[in-house]
Parts: sequence; C-alpha cells; structure tokens
Amino acid sequence: MANKYRFIGRVTPRLDAPEIVAGKAKFLNDIKVPGMLYGKALRSPHAHAFIKKIDKKKAEELKGVKAILTWEDVPDWKGGTPRFTRILDRKVRYVGDAVALVAATTEEIAKEALKLISVEFEVLQPVFDIEEALRPEAPQLYDEFPGNVVTPGVPFFGPKNLKEVVMGDMEKGFAEADVVTEGTFGYENIPNPLPPEPPGVIALWEDPNRLTLWVSNQASYMDKITLFHVMGRKVEVRSIGGPCGGSFGSKFMSWQVQTYAALLSRAARKPVKLVFTKEEHLAAFTVRPSSRMSARVGMKKDGTVTAVSGKWLIDTGYYSMTTQSQVAVGCGEVQIMVRCPNWDLRPVIVCTNRNASGIVRGFGGQELKCILIPLLSLAMEKLEIDPFEFLKKNYVKPGDGYVWRDGIWYTYRGVDYSPAMDKGAEAFGWKQKWKGWLTPTAIHGHKKRGIGVGVHGNADIGEDSSEAYVRLHPDGTAMLFSCVTEHGTGQRSNYAKMVAEVLQISLENVSITPSDSLINPYEFGPAGSRGTYAIGSAVIRAAEDAKKKLFEIMAPMIQAEPGDLETSDGMVFVKHHPDRKIPWKAMSVDRTITGFGRFEPDYTLTNCMMSFVEVEVDTETGKVDLIHIVNATDAGKIIDPQGLEGQLNGCLGSAGIDSALFEETILDRTSGHTLNANLIDYKWRTFSELPSIHNVVLETPFPSHRFHAVGIGEVATSPGPSAVLMAVSNAIGVWLHEYPVTPEKVLKALGKTKSNRSSRLNSFNSSNGLNVRDGGAE
Amino acid sequence: MRSFTHVNAHTIDEALELLSRHKGTAVLNAGGTDLLGVLKDEILPHYPKVVINLKTIPGLDEITAVDGGLKIGSLTRLVDIVKSPLVRERYPVLAEAARSVATPQIRNSATIGGNLCQDVRCWYYRYPRHIGGPIQCLRKGSGSCLAVRGDNRYHAIMEGKRCFAVCPSDTAVALAALDASLLVEGQDGERKIMVTDFFSPLTNALKPGEIVRDIEVPALFNSTDQRYSKFTLRKPIDFAIVSVAIVATMENGIFRDVRIALGGVAPGPVRARAAEAMLKGTQASEQVAFEAAEIAVSGARPLSMNSYKIEITKSLIKRALLGGN
Repeated sequence: MANKYRFIGRVTPRLDAPEIVAGKAKFLNDIKVPGMLYGKALRSPHAHAFIKKIDKKKAEELKGVKAILTWEDVPDWKGGTPRFTRILDRKVRYVGDAVALVAATTEEIAKEALKLISVEFEVLQPVFDIEEALRPEAPQLYDEFPGNVVTPGVPFFGPKNLKEVVMGDMEKGFAEADVVTEGTFGYENIPNPLPPEPPGVIALWEDPNRLTLWVSNQASYMDKITLFHVMGRKVEVRSIGGPCGGSFGSKFMSWQVQTYAALLSRAARKPVKLVFTKEEHLAAFTVRPSSRMSARVGMKKDGTVTAVSGKWLIDTGYYSMTTQSQVAVGCGEVQIMVRCPNWDLRPVIVCTNRNASGIVRGFGGQELKCILIPLLSLAMEKLEIDPFEFLKKNYVKPGDGYVWRDGIWYTYRGVDYSPAMDKGAEAFGWKQKWKGWLTPTAIHGHKKRGIGVGVHGNADIGEDSSEAYVRLHPDGTAMLFSCVTEHGTGQRSNYAKMVAEVLQISLENVSITPSDSLINPYEFGPAGSRGTYAIGSAVIRAAEDAKKKLFEIMAPMIQAEPGDLETSDGMVFVKHHPDRKIPWKAMSVDRTITGFGRFEPDYTLTNCMMSFVEVEVDTETGKVDLIHIVNATDAGKIIDPQGLEGQLNGCLGSAGIDSALFEETILDRTSGHTLNANLIDYKWRTFSELPSIHNVVLETPFPSHRFHAVGIGEVATSPGPSAVLMAVSNAIGVWLHEYPVTPEKVLKALGKTKSNRSSRLNSFNSSNGLNVRDGGAE
Repeated sequence: MRSFTHVNAHTIDEALELLSRHKGTAVLNAGGTDLLGVLKDEILPHYPKVVINLKTIPGLDEITAVDGGLKIGSLTRLVDIVKSPLVRERYPVLAEAARSVATPQIRNSATIGGNLCQDVRCWYYRYPRHIGGPIQCLRKGSGSCLAVRGDNRYHAIMEGKRCFAVCPSDTAVALAALDASLLVEGQDGERKIMVTDFFSPLTNALKPGEIVRDIEVPALFNSTDQRYSKFTLRKPIDFAIVSVAIVATMENGIFRDVRIALGGVAPGPVRARAAEAMLKGTQASEQVAFEAAEIAVSGARPLSMNSYKIEITKSLIKRALLGGN
C-alpha cells in the first residue's frame, strides 16, 4: 500500500539521536545543581523487624554530613494503595527496607555515615511464600492488612473498578464442557525489568511547601501528581523530566527515591541528588508481581471455553502501589484473550517480606496469561486442539466485548486480528511444524525442539488522559508543549512527526518543550501502549486546533473562507487556487497561535501481539535455547518503522520472554536476602546471543485518530513467556508448571534428577484442597 | 569507592617487602577485574589500606618455552594466552579455557595469576554491604556456610567442607588437566604448588606475604587431544556452572592416557582420577564414555538444590571424551 504521508510511516532520524550517540544527552546523573548534596539510604538487614533504637550521633559528627533522618524525623507521608506505607517506618518489612537517610557533601561521606548509624532491631518472623502469608498464624506485615491481604480495588478507576472476573453461570458452564481440567501454575520468578539507568532524582525543597524534582522517569507529569498525594496534598510539586535511560514500566513510579531526596533536601536546605546503585536497583526497587493460580477450565471440542474458575494469588512483596491496577487490567485483558461467558476468577493480593512489586510492562496481563494459558493448554491437549487455532478463535473480534478496569462493559470496535495471526503462523511455518501436544517437532540426538505460541492484547491503548498545546510562530515553525518524556522508544520524535504532518512543515521546524510540569499541560505519560493513540490524539488535536486558528486569522487576508485553506511549509494557500498564498508571518510578527488538544479515555480499542517461539532443549544438560521467534501484529498504520522494529525486537529482555528462560530475582527463602543483585548472577541476555526474530506487521486502518494507528509498544514482551513454557513442554513431552525453565527444572521434569527442593507449588495443591491432577479430564 | 593508597611495585622483592610492611592491610592488584569489584561492594570485613600494583613489575607477563613445557608469568593477560601461538599449539585446552572467561574487555586486563587467585563468587559471600550489610560466614571468619541451608544451586557438589563455594577459575581447570603448578615467592624463598593442591575450602594455599610468580606447564610427550567444555546459562560473561578439561593421548581409538579435570563442582578443580584409570587402555565408545562419566561423579554429594550439576557434569565428560559438543 502506497504511503500517502510525508512523514508518517517514513524513516526519519530521531531528534535526540545525535546527542545520545555523541554522549551529550544530559541524563539525570549528568546534572549537577549548585550546592547539591548526595543522599543515601541505610537499609535493613532483616526481612521483618521493629526498630527499637537508632543512634545517629556518631554519624552526625562526621564532617560533611548535612542531614540524617529516621522514622522519628519524618512526616507521616504515605505511599501505597491504600496509603499505608510510610516513607520511613518503625517497622522494616524486607531486607533492604530504608532505616535511615543521609545527605552529605559527597557520596563517599554519605556511605561512611551510614556505617556510623547504629540500629537495634527486634527481629520478627518473616514470611516469603504467598500461601504461607495467608495462613492464620502467619506473621502480619501491616495492622491495616489483616491476614496480609491487601485491600483490593483502585479508586482512581471509578466506583465500579474491576477487582475480579465474575459473570455467568459456573455450573452451567462446566456442564456444557466436553472436558474439564485443573492444575496449578506459577509465574513467581519476580524478574526485574532493569532499565540501564537506575532510579534517581534531584530534589530541591523550598519552604514552606514547594518542591522541585529533576527526574528521569517514564511519566514526569505523573511524578508531580503521585508525590502531591503521597505528601499529604499540601506540597506544590514541579517535576522536570529529561532523557530517561529506560523504564519498561518500572520508573513510572519512583515515589520512594523521590520522597527520600525531598525530605533530605527539606532537612538540609540544599538540593539533594539520590541515585540508586545497580545493587539497590536489583534488590530495593520494584519487580514484577508474583503469580500463582490453581484453577479449573471447561472446554468444548471446538475450542469454545465454557467456564474458568480459579483463585489467582498475587504476591506484591512488602507493599502495593499499583498491583491492584495490574490485577484490574489483567482481569480485563484476560477477557480480550479468551471469550468465555462464565467466569469465577478471584484475585487475592498478598503482601510478603520481600522488595515490592510494581509496574512492569505486561501489567497484570502477562502475569495472568503465564499461568492461565498453560492451564487452557491442558484442556487443549485432551481435545487435541491446535493452540494457534484456539488462540485465534478466542481472541476478541469486532462486536465482542469485555469488562474493563472501570467495571464497565465495552464493545470492541477495532479490526479482526485473525489475518495478522495467520500471516504470523505462515511466516513461522506453524502448520508444518506442529506435531501435536507434548510432541517435539524435531529430534537431533539428545536435542529436542519444540514450538509454542502465545497471545496478548491490551485496551490501554486508549487509556487515561493526555493534553498538549501546539504553538505556531510567524517564522513558519511550531512548538509542541507536551510533558512526554523520552524513555527510549523515540515517541517524542514521533509526536514531532505528527505535528509536522498535520501542519505540513519540515521536521526541523518542529520543536518540543522540555517535559517540565510547570510549562506543559496534564500528561499521563507513555504508559502501556497508549503513546500512539492516546497521546498522539492529543498532539494531533492540538496541531489541528492551531491550524484552524491560523486559518481563521489568515482567511480575511487571502479573501477566502477558513475551510477553503490549506498550509504547507509555512505558506497558507487556497486549496483550489494554490497560487493564492501568503506566508505564516502575515499573521503579524508579534503574534503566536496556540492550539489545544485533549484525549479522553476510550476503551473500545485493543492492540494484539501473537508470538511464536521455537526452542531447543538439551535433554542431557537441561539447557533451553531459544532458536526463533515470530511476532505478529496489526498496527493500523506504522508511524515509525525503525522504532516499531526496535520495540518488537525488545520482546526478549526487560522481564519479557527471557523471564521464561533465565531472568529471575533470587531470594534466600529463609532470610529474604536478594542473592543475585548483580549482573553476573542476575541473568540478562547479552547481544551476542540473540535468536532470530521475525516481525510481521499488518496495516489495517483502525478507527483511532487521523493516522488510523494503534500503539503496540508495551505488549511485545507479553505473549512470549507462556509460549516458551509451552514449547519446552512440547519438546520434552512433560508439562512444566513454573518459570523460568532452568536446567534444574527441565532435568527434574525429565526424571533425571531428584532435586531435594520441592516445588513451591506443592503446598498450594494440598492446602487448597484441590486434588490436582494435571490434565485430569473429568 | 573508599580510598586506599596505591603503590606501584617495580620488582617482586619490592612487592614482597610492601606486603610484609603492610601486613594484613595490603592487597595485590594484577588485572584488577575481580579486586575492584570486591572493594567497591565492600564485601569483606576489612578494607585494605594499601593496594600494591604488580603490573609495574617488568617481565612478569611473558610466556616462554622451557624444557618442552611452558612458563607463564602470572601477570600475563588472558587475551595474550588466548592469542599466544605457543599456548595454542601445545596447550589448546588452556587457550580455550582462557578464551571462555567473561568478555573481551575483561580478558584484555585480567591476568592468569589473578584468574587463579580471584575470590569465589558465592552470592552469600559477595552479598553487597549496602543492602542491609554484608552476610557473615565462615569464609569471612565466623559463622557457618549459608549455602548449606540456603540457595545452593551454584555451589559445590563435591569436596565442600565448611565452605561450599566453588573455584570460579576456568584456567585452573585446564591447568589441573595439564598437571601444571604455581611458582610462589615469599620472604622465605620460592616454592612450587600443584594447581590441584592450590585450592581448598575457605582459602587457597598462598601464605600471607606470598605472591604467585609463574605458572609452569610441564611438557606433553605425546600428541594429545585437548578439550575445554564449559556449561553456563549465557555464553559470554558467566562463570561455569560446570566445566570439564580433558587431555587425552589416543592411539588407534584407544585411550593411552587421559586426564580429566572438573570445574564449577568443588572448591578447586577436581581430577577425576578413578575415571582416568578406568579409561586407560580402553577403546573409545559411547559406553566407555558413559561409564567414565558415572565414575567421575560417583563421589558427588549434592546439596539441596544442585544435584542437576551431576547430570551436566556427566554430559560434559561424555561429550568431551567422544569429541563432540
């Protein structure tokens, strides 16, 4: 299809590329503010304890120390949902919890000061397992969360906010099924999305209640909003965003590091920089929520799902800020993935004594699919249903619907993704390779190959609100006012492209303001895949509004109606008489024109990603190698071909497909220490081991905005992990139930080794009273 | 990073003198790739006052042919071992082991002496101080080995005692298969330690004040098949979960002499002597390789989470004996 656009869909240079490549981009840690101090946190050696006594006298005497704060010194500000987690508390709840904060003239002095603070603890019994935390005799993390169950629900999502998927008639659903299977699966490896740049901030407090933050986060406007609420709604916050060295969801929320620095600045009356070390990033920053589910599904011979019933346990670590949101979105997404009239899916969010879970791309849906698709697979195996056909058949189609995060039913009005899925299957050679369940596709000596497929989609592409201004200048240039930060995907450049396309001016003539909350309007930020449709719509509308105002001013000058005008390269002309034209500067040199655009949430569209994977399993060593991946999607209209390719190739890391292979945060299950808080032991794929990746992207126009595009940036990581579990199970002929598929787990599944460690899932089966037999048909 | 005094040594004697003068408060720096991480994370109870730089001692980075064997200066960088025609020709197993270490950047500065003397990678031992303080264990002077009851997936399956950390060195495994030894200098003169005797649980055989000067690799009088095979989750960067070095003299498909060294399974490289003896004089075959592998791991006593290493070890031995991957 010929591209009718001048910029959209064309390969154009990223605006920030020269600076980044030349090392001139100012990331947070490159910024120095005059008089700046350095902050550090003293962290708890215990997973659960009361602080009996803190003596900071010695540390205060150290030259260069400007402020030391403990739980006794800080205001009663709280984060979490609901707000029960203090900035510093008398109780510590994981190994690494902040006990005290220090600001000093150098980082080294701050670190020395930490050693001089003596703390006396009253050690409490910790709890690390989801189900153990639910037992009546379990240690309690918060008085406010009896039984360690975190209050469900997200008030921000509205009065009916989604807490579970409960609908239909379960009895009828199971009765209609040709097969009913049950099983237990766990996605409990709490991978860290680990953007290259660790969380950090510079904070400047000015009395009585003004706070300026230099942030390097995914959504700089939201830092202002989040902190405002955490700090008791009495502080005026300005957040100044800059280039962000990656986020993958996680740096959408940096409220702890920000409040640490803010409090230190308030105490020291100086700006304070606080940047986490790599070890802190791995052991004391948020990770993916942990999920475990025991469930039953009913299925008909034709792949119709008649009932899903299960208890979805989510371990959020020592607090939850967004886990309820992830559960709500996950519950919505699961209905997009599988059409089923009868649901009884009940999530329970549990807190345990480990570092907290937070936002990670995949946002609830990846977690739920990693444990539900394997369970559906058990039924598919009994009925000999091809999983590709099953996923294609059950994915949301125009006219179908789902209850979204606000508890409201939406009818899907986008395109049918079946053609994209078919193209993907064709590119992968699915039909040729598929040999049936638990059957390898090829055997070479002790090496066996297997294939798997997964799918994911999210109606967050039209989630939340965005606002933007576009200002036109007499010299033929335009400036976009948007609080969007560049977190690595190239979206800021894409918004410049959209403005240039609407106004038909060259890209060099479009600039974007810094993502400073003082000058820009509200922006939820590029969360999920909302950048293209949600933010893009606000930007496009602002540019269109500016253009409309321009034409209104120019029309009398050119003796035409505003509706008859068009503009190109700083000239306004009459559509049918292009020779009748005047330059923008005719608006007068002492004038600018500002257009405003706003996007209101729209949950009637969803994106889709299907991933096909081929793995090779060494049945002697248990090693799993990922050989080939095909990602298939429909983007409506490609805005940025290179950015899209990068986004899809990003399916592996950042707690994506590799969280099925080797990415995991490893805790000592007795003490709660994070054992692999370094990049030797935290396995992260290197560039020298990339599998072949093939991306299939269709462009079927969507009823979204004027470019008919939808965002798909977030979802590349999400279908892969369950596809890997499926592929490995097929290769070795045995169902695997847990991630990641380490040599230890594979050899155990093959019966070659008796690991003395019992699976974490065992206790669940017995305690739940579900006599679980994998694939046991009724 | 905390400060320390950095002193360049210009001779071995000067380095020995510095070590003696700053008794207990000085550490040696060869390539620095391990040392700087240890210092930065402050994993050890005592932080050194002095770092003695050995790179400034001339002549310690040479590879020379001696009596049909090799003498390798302890400051020889891994990249130079990988590239050395002498090593590649006579001791490809060593070149291969050196090449398997970490990444090109690290091999460009890491030395063979440092590779042998580097500290263990046990994640309890190396737990970073600033996430709640270091974890105390016997290797640090008090307490017990936390791996025994903890997460021991990467720990020893044999010869562990009081400390179950494994020797992280790849070159040690190749050198063990080559019957190599270390020439160590101290205030009382020089002594020779077999590579296989150098490592023990909790520590290595260096006495306070001693420095590894050279590595001696004895001559091989027959042409041999040599292989180094390393099992990791990732090809670059990772330390071995299990590794195997094999040096075999074959005659018409018969094992005349075989030396098998295992890495990643014990506090030091382990020679599989019973398997070596069993193989001697046998015709190479799947069955024989299988039996040798079984014998090699027969002494394994895995911990709660690392019995999978036995299977991997067996597989590596079998494949190395049969010449495959």
